[in-house]
Amino acid sequence: MSTRRARPLDPRAWIIWAVAANLPLLVGRNPWPLAATLLAVLGVWAAWSTGAAGARWRPLLGLALVLGVVSVLFNLLTAHIGDRVIGVLPESWPLIGGVLTLNALIYGLLSAMAIFSLVAVSATLGATLDWSATMRLLPERMAALAVAGSVAWSYLPRTTAALMEIREAQMARGYRPRGIRDAAPLAIPLLAGGLERAMITAEALEARAFGAPLAPELTPRPWQVALLLGGLVAALTGAFCLALGQLTVAGALLAMAVVSLVAGLFTGSRGEPRLRRTRYRDPVWERPEWIVSGAAIAVLAVQIATLFLDPAAFRYEPYPALTAPAINLPLLAALGLLLVPAAVRP
Amino acid sequence: MSAPGRLTPREEPIVTVSELTYRYPEGDTPALRELTWVVDPGEFVTVTGPSGSGKSTLLRCLNGLTPHFSGGTFDGTVTIAGHDTRHYSPRVLARLTGFVFQDPEAQFVAGRVDDELAFGMEQLGVPVVTMRKRVEEVLDLLGIAALRDREIATLSGGEQQRVAVAAALALQPSILALDEPTSQLDPWGAEEVLAALNRLSEDLGLTVVLAEHRLERVVAHADRLTVLAPDGTVALDGRPRDTLRLAEMGNLPPLFALGRRLDWDPLPLSIKEGRSAQRRDAALGRVPAPAPPDPAPPGGTPVVALQRVRAGWDRNNVLRDVDLDVRPGELVALMGRNGSGKTTLLRLVAGLHRPSSGRVLIGGQDTARLHPADIAQTVGYLPQNPSALFFAETLQAELGFTLKHHRHSELDPEATLATLGLEHAIDRNPRDLSGGERERAALAAVLVGGPRVLLLDEPTRGMDAARKRALIKTLLQLRDDGVAILLATHDVELVAEVANRVTLLGDGRIVADGGPRTVLSGSLTFTTAVNKLYGDGFLTPGDILAGLGMNRSVEPLAGTIEFV
Repeated sequence: MSTRRARPLDPRAWIIWAVAANLPLLVGRNPWPLAATLLAVLGVWAAWSTGAAGARWRPLLGLALVLGVVSVLFNLLTAHIGDRVIGVLPESWPLIGGVLTLNALIYGLLSAMAIFSLVAVSATLGATLDWSATMRLLPERMAALAVAGSVAWSYLPRTTAALMEIREAQMARGYRPRGIRDAAPLAIPLLAGGLERAMITAEALEARAFGAPLAPELTPRPWQVALLLGGLVAALTGAFCLALGQLTVAGALLAMAVVSLVAGLFTGSRGEPRLRRTRYRDPVWERPEWIVSGAAIAVLAVQIATLFLDPAAFRYEPYPALTAPAINLPLLAALGLLLVPAAVRP
Repeated sequence: MSAPGRLTPREEPIVTVSELTYRYPEGDTPALRELTWVVDPGEFVTVTGPSGSGKSTLLRCLNGLTPHFSGGTFDGTVTIAGHDTRHYSPRVLARLTGFVFQDPEAQFVAGRVDDELAFGMEQLGVPVVTMRKRVEEVLDLLGIAALRDREIATLSGGEQQRVAVAAALALQPSILALDEPTSQLDPWGAEEVLAALNRLSEDLGLTVVLAEHRLERVVAHADRLTVLAPDGTVALDGRPRDTLRLAEMGNLPPLFALGRRLDWDPLPLSIKEGRSAQRRDAALGRVPAPAPPDPAPPGGTPVVALQRVRAGWDRNNVLRDVDLDVRPGELVALMGRNGSGKTTLLRLVAGLHRPSSGRVLIGGQDTARLHPADIAQTVGYLPQNPSALFFAETLQAELGFTLKHHRHSELDPEATLATLGLEHAIDRNPRDLSGGERERAALAAVLVGGPRVLLLDEPTRGMDAARKRALIKTLLQLRDDGVAILLATHDVELVAEVANRVTLLGDGRIVADGGPRTVLSGSLTFTTAVNKLYGDGFLTPGDILAGLGMNRSVEPLAGTIEFV
């Protein structure tokens, strides 16, 4: 089994890195930054995905590869525009009939690269984030949520194992899963078993003093909930606008999101807790964290500057005519810094 | 509330249960009935009794999970170190009573060992310096310092239970309550946990209350044995030797059962005590006649054949070049330490795992190209956890589902249920059955397909004596009906009762293969308590009694659970 793991990096360093790695994938389809980011992310994944956690997340990459292939085929068969025709399907075929173009193929490939990179970033986070440390980042008054999050996280692998066990037990009874209608023999035992386990976990939490000294006054006020929800909506819309290239709107929305999330999380609710929870493990922030977050912030700075000075460095449209994508060498050099976590494994 | 912390030397009991009658919200009869019971500080008490006698409920009273978590009606009082549990919630009582659950996996709330140990202290706001010190202390107390950075999911069952004990101790409770902590473990894991408990009791003077139905390993350590009756009252309570002398129950340790028949004095609680009694007997010339040889193996064509099979995960071979033939009417016990390949072998036969080389033949047919559902026409596989099967509303529908997938079975649900004594439950939801009925219902759902081969993986894990006896009866019946049975187990006493062949696996190879008397005799680890004393093919108390010309029907694994 896995021996002593390398010390995980502080989750905050990983989160900054993930933001820097995701930005180029969201803002455009220029193949140069896409390829640079993908290579860097795969390098980091290769360095950090050893051991059991890596094995758990590897299937996700396989799924992303399948998704990528599907997206290429879908785009090739349905987008019948562009100047480089590479084949023709009979017009009478619904949806897919018409000319097949190199433009559509290339756009599909670029989208597939972006999807695959996004998934690779998530898988890297999944395999490397110290989940309980991440949950401890939440402020004191969200401690209950944090514990719920950690418990849910430790549940995931057990639920997968339970599903495998049930599937095998049913197959050994002659059952052959064929479609969604055959799901009951798997779903019902999984659900019932999950409920049983949830009861035991709830009992265990009680028996281990969970929630003991928390003052009841710590429930958030309605306006705090509103701020949190508003912040989340603003963040999502902002990301969407960013992807559409509406930079000003996106900037405004994202700034709003940050302000309302911070306000919602950190402003006082009714009263202070009578007894403060303590933390066993202090967050460790040492040289590797400084290097990773520093590099990621540098990448982010270059990216944001480039967005305003030379937006074409991120954008690319193979329609209507296939052209050569713009190259911005400083940006590509900066994206290379995304590889830094691969080198600083503590 | 006063800080409980370390025990102060006072003579009053630390646990007082008086006139307690408790009924679960959905229960027809009380789970505990007019129960009065005390525990003195520093005592090591073992609570036993058949399934459903209220062992778990009584333990849950010690930290307030009963009645605060479970609801129901609660008459009488339970006081823990002077605190009436009706007025304190479990989360407050957590400082007084550390609790360890039966299932090593389901009770954890963190991913890593040190986070798990710190969890309760973080909740109670223990200062960081104290918390760090206590984490170090409990790591050493339980001998798990090497595991501190490990993910809990990667630990063995014995290691997990020691982590659970350490996590409970980190709050420095006065009482440690453990609900059948070893029932899901193999013998070595159970030994690790019990040795740790014994040390805690002797060195720290910790009060330990342990619910357990496999008494042979714990009675030597316990100061007191409390036996609960099926109706939720205290049947017997006292020093283990006195209690066991009076008890009429199925889970007597085998040597103790033998000692009672042979009038040994003192009655042996450990192998060591048994050995001196046996020497005294031998000196008096009371030596059993040689045990009969193993019966000849049944003939016939093998229904399962493994031919030079290699199998494993990634590039590690769990099984190497295994050859094994199983014939109808054979009950083969697969034994070996954890990771020796027992489960992989069963999975190969069920078609759930493919050999990397070699062939697996079922009824002469190579399984390489068969779907597990095709193999299931011949091979039945009983999962360890019967709940993995049930999804239908009634037992009849559950069996009907198996039948629908077995074209050749001529059995019908009613007859199958009748052979397992479940005919009364045909219209009930299988999930509502009691523990023992559920196990038999799962077996019925497999047997109704009329398998010629039956695979069982650790079927007696967590079973009490009565349920085990019911299983033994069923297995012997199936064996006599010509079903070939492969049974992976650590339970040597079960093997001694049912197997007509034992296959010992070591490091993925077959190390020994033959009749149980031949294979188990002289083994240091894979043998019964009786064999450790007498050797020479004697396996059960019945063998010794027969060898001495006495009536062999004692209550080793047999004997209904009744109380005098």
